[in-house]
Amino acid sequence: MAEIKIDDVLPSVSKTITQEKIELFEDCGILDRQNIHNNPEIARERLKFDHPIASGRMSVTYAAEIIRKFVGEDAFHHSGTVNLKYLKPLIQGDTVNVSGTVVATEEIDTGLLVTINIQCENQNGEKTAIGQGTAVVK
Amino acid sequence: MSEESLKDFVYDNVVIGETLGTYSYVLTEEMLDTFRKAVEDPEARFPTLGVKHDATAFAMVYDDKVGTVNAGNEVEFFNPPIPGKKIIVTGKIQDKYTKRDNPYIVIEATAEDEDGRLIEKLRTYQIKKPEVLGKKWQK
Repeated sequence: MAEIKIDDVLPSVSKTITQEKIELFEDCGILDRQNIHNNPEIARERLKFDHPIASGRMSVTYAAEIIRKFVGEDAFHHSGTVNLKYLKPLIQGDTVNVSGTVVATEEIDTGLLVTINIQCENQNGEKTAIGQGTAVVK
Repeated sequence: MSEESLKDFVYDNVVIGETLGTYSYVLTEEMLDTFRKAVEDPEARFPTLGVKHDATAFAMVYDDKVGTVNAGNEVEFFNPPIPGKKIIVTGKIQDKYTKRDNPYIVIEATAEDEDGRLIEKLRTYQIKKPEVLGKKWQK
């Protein structure tokens, strides 16, 4: 792997959100729960939204994907972190672009600790989530 | 779990450090496949994110009639889960606070597998006034 440096830009991913994908994500659960993600009436009642919203954890997964691809599976799967703050929900029809930039590197006992700023942006250029991810690269 | 055995969620009664107990389930290949399709990533290894360990722990204890919206998540990955293995999850209320007059709780869940491999630690910042975020997001 090439040396990781501050200001390195991670290859981004772009995902189009559909209600089918939102519901598939909910189907991973072990409880059969109706919520703001899979039930339009609950989304309307609780959020006053016309559509269910995607779980923010889908954005966590997208962020995990770009970090994993950048630092490598072994590093990410055993030392990765993702912290996201949600700014605006994703709904069906949205396309989210998830990008990242290395903002810090630090040699620690177990390797190089890499810190990445993460940004999720919808098709209108609005930020939907921001945060950081880290991983230790040996 | 039957709904009769759930406690009504009352924000003021929640105590920081309160345990949400322990539960287990077997992670299946089907769950992994479903997760990968949902996020369009055939190499994704943590379908546990879709299981929502912390929210599940909370839902096994509380009947929350108000509902919630997640304001943020913090996830630490330690080892990818292995399909076919039992996953054991322990949850707790990690924090509780008010910010701009809105009530928040932080739920934390730690997962390990039947062999004692640490899988994932997850924290969710939940706002217990979903209509506030709904209104803000509509702007």
